[in-house]
Amino acid sequence: MSEPATSPTSPPESTRTGPGRLLVAVYALFALSASARAGVQIATKFSHAPVAYVLSAFAGLVYIVATVTLANGSRTARRIAVVSCSVELIGVLVVGTWSILDRATFPDATVWSGYGSGYGFVPLVLPVFGLLWLYRWSRRARTRKAAAVTSAGDAGDTADGGDPAVHAVTSREHGQAG
Amino acid sequence: MTDRGQRAAPVTTKRSNMSSVNGVVPTIIIVAGLALAAYALLMTALNRRMGIVLLAGLGVLEILLLVLVGLIVAKLASGERPPGGLATLIGYLIAMPLIPLVAGFWGLLERSRWGPAVVAVAGLVAAVLMVRLHEIWAVIRV
Repeated sequence: MSEPATSPTSPPESTRTGPGRLLVAVYALFALSASARAGVQIATKFSHAPVAYVLSAFAGLVYIVATVTLANGSRTARRIAVVSCSVELIGVLVVGTWSILDRATFPDATVWSGYGSGYGFVPLVLPVFGLLWLYRWSRRARTRKAAAVTSAGDAGDTADGGDPAVHAVTSREHGQAG
Repeated sequence: MTDRGQRAAPVTTKRSNMSSVNGVVPTIIIVAGLALAAYALLMTALNRRMGIVLLAGLGVLEILLLVLVGLIVAKLASGERPPGGLATLIGYLIAMPLIPLVAGFWGLLERSRWGPAVVAVAGLVAAVLMVRLHEIWAVIRV
């Protein structure tokens, strides 16, 4: 895949731009559909499949966190996004396997049952793309960090235990956002 | 809304042609959504930004979805109830018209090929929603 979208002249300034725009859109879609579905199921027929519905609600929550943090894109947000994407990937694999082995617990489907087969396996693919995107971002941040250290001269080495390079990167990010 | 579960859900008779979708408007929405998605993906592949054609396509999709919402509301007003659950149907009625609007807004914010990609998602989602809608209420004939 060629990537003019991330050409040197116009790098995505946040995790929500460029391919991230698509990622956040799909995450928002799943945040909405999973939590709305769980809400309806828990409100109207909780006793029918309590495990499945609680897992649906949990999935919805994870999608909401991932959507918000990917759209925000700050350093802390990116860390939380990595955690939520990982939880999502583990969740879809565990629940997917569980739902196949123990069908009695899942009389009604969740977003993650059958590895997301009810949703075109998008729940399985989505966290992988999320993590890849975040990995690309962390690499880019590291490159910037190196550049910042170079431009800051040797000031960074005499710091008092903190990581001045990180501050340099953070201020750069703020400058770009503004 | 209280007696819905007991009344309809356990005895829902599935039609033999489960995957097919009844009704002119849902069919048009599926075709329009898929066509829009295909065109939007082409724009992404060609590295184009959001353009007037994609916005017009979203506008057409919005109108079609609003027409469908109107038809369903009219059906509900006449006293009929969906076997798949009223709460879910109302959720769909709220979510459906929002899709092209949100996709247009989010796609316009992006000044790269990924704007059209967002529109492609909206087109696909509109088509998928019609199939899901059919599962909730198979008799949306127009």
